[in-house]
Amino acid sequence: MAQAPDLSVRIAGVPLKNPVMTASGTFGYGREFSLLVDLNRLGGIVVKGLSLEPSRGNPPPRIAETPCGMLNAIGLENVGIEAFAAEKLPYLQTLSTPVWVNIYGKSVEAYARLAERIQEIEGIAGVEVNISCPNVKSGGVAFGVDPQAAHAVIRAVRERTDLPLMAKLSPNVTDITVIARSVVEAGADAVSLINTLTGMAVDVENRRSRIANITGGLSGPAIRPVAVRMVWQAAQAVDVPIVGIGGILTASDALEFLIAGASAVQVGTANFVNPRATLDIIDGIEAYLVRHRFTSLTDVIGSLQW
Amino acid sequence: MFQERVKVLWNTLECSGYYRIGMQSNPGYSRAKPGQFVMVRFPDEVTPLLRRPFSIHRLILHQGRTAGIELLYKVVGTGTEKLSLSRKGDGLDLLGPLGTHFKIPENTRRVFIVAGGIGVAPMFFLSATLEKAGVDLTESRIFIGGRSRDDLLCMNDFISVGMRTVHLTTEDGSAGLRDLVTTPLERAVAERAPDRIYACGPLPMIRAVAKIARRYRAPCQVSIESLMACGLGACLGCAVEGADPGKYLHACIDGPVFEADRLNL
Repeated sequence: MAQAPDLSVRIAGVPLKNPVMTASGTFGYGREFSLLVDLNRLGGIVVKGLSLEPSRGNPPPRIAETPCGMLNAIGLENVGIEAFAAEKLPYLQTLSTPVWVNIYGKSVEAYARLAERIQEIEGIAGVEVNISCPNVKSGGVAFGVDPQAAHAVIRAVRERTDLPLMAKLSPNVTDITVIARSVVEAGADAVSLINTLTGMAVDVENRRSRIANITGGLSGPAIRPVAVRMVWQAAQAVDVPIVGIGGILTASDALEFLIAGASAVQVGTANFVNPRATLDIIDGIEAYLVRHRFTSLTDVIGSLQW
Repeated sequence: MFQERVKVLWNTLECSGYYRIGMQSNPGYSRAKPGQFVMVRFPDEVTPLLRRPFSIHRLILHQGRTAGIELLYKVVGTGTEKLSLSRKGDGLDLLGPLGTHFKIPENTRRVFIVAGGIGVAPMFFLSATLEKAGVDLTESRIFIGGRSRDDLLCMNDFISVGMRTVHLTTEDGSAGLRDLVTTPLERAVAERAPDRIYACGPLPMIRAVAKIARRYRAPCQVSIESLMACGLGACLGCAVEGADPGKYLHACIDGPVFEADRLNL
């Protein structure tokens, strides 16, 4: 019998036992899924986006289902960095899976202060900097659609922490390669993409938006082709590892990203639909490698034929 | 909590637009409590993409053991429409039991149950547990309201578990009193407040029931409906305004059953 293929990858210097991570905002603080998922099998856990202070988030309705996708405008409701460190992190530290903290701020200074604080906290493998949330009034996506602003945020975070740094990019831009180059130049060790696409859905009976925030972020399989395309473009433009995100429900979906040039993937909306999705995807990737006689996942990454 | 592939045991039309679906479930559902819910998915399909939440209508017992659960549902959109087409033997992906449940504190003797439309679904499960918890069914009452006679469900089921007094109202007068369900409720509460009120139904009804409960100082638990994606406290899509303005509650893990005074209705 042949040896099991090697699924391990390295993202921003962090070794992952397999390329499947959870996407921020879709997996809570991990523990929510512990009765259903063996969290130690995951390649990485990216927790819900954290701010300096607790945040209440947007009023309901916050979600709406759309064809093969969903819109959300949660508004980054979170417990804040201090409550995370005191109440949520101790559980995560009992796991063997690397924990990535996702951060967002309303100003460059807020990002910098978060980075400073995270630098002092034990047990965090890396930082994902969210410059791409479309659902908060200031900050978030405002930094992700402007190459100079994106550069400034990543630079500020880079100066305050030596933890591995991943910049999460917005698809709501004309040219993803410009932003990708800009954050790498500012010191990002990896880029993750895509965050949600800004969208909107109207209830025609009462002529109201189906989301209280009016616009929301579109996720799910509906956005996957856009995401794969952007990952492929980014892979041509930068030399750092790319983490592909966008509508991954199955192993085959994940492989599209890996073949297009992503070194790892994040699973998001699928966690809502099938809480075991991450594990099914890991098993499916392994089965694919066996079936195609690859000994290592690295043989597949960026192997797009053209 | 279990995520499992289960088979449909039956799916029958209850009355116009309402169905009853039975499905196998893990024997662990014997610990499920009234008011808890499940999330149902059509396996491997993306239309609809998200799971749909349903409260448990009753447990299915086979030779004294919990063999499955039954849901009572109304067709309101693409998810429930598709569910209504399920047949015996079809596979579904079932996640549950989830959320909080109705509580029956010790020394609860006399309760009022209020159900609006499909809000009756969890109330039958509740009524079936009352007697064991020491509640006097002959003194307790159930109030069922709906838009029309086709929206009044399960009347006989409540009688079958031993409840004696069932108040019926419809908005169009096609059955029972032509009134809102809260009118006979208020009259009965004013006469003699129960030890506890349990309510499930549309938000305006919940609001009115909570107001009556407050006025007559009757403890009140309500089950609320919300859009939700995960049911696990991860998506935070089901935010509900609580008494604390600083943060939202979430229908999936803080609810769906709440003490009425914890909510900002």
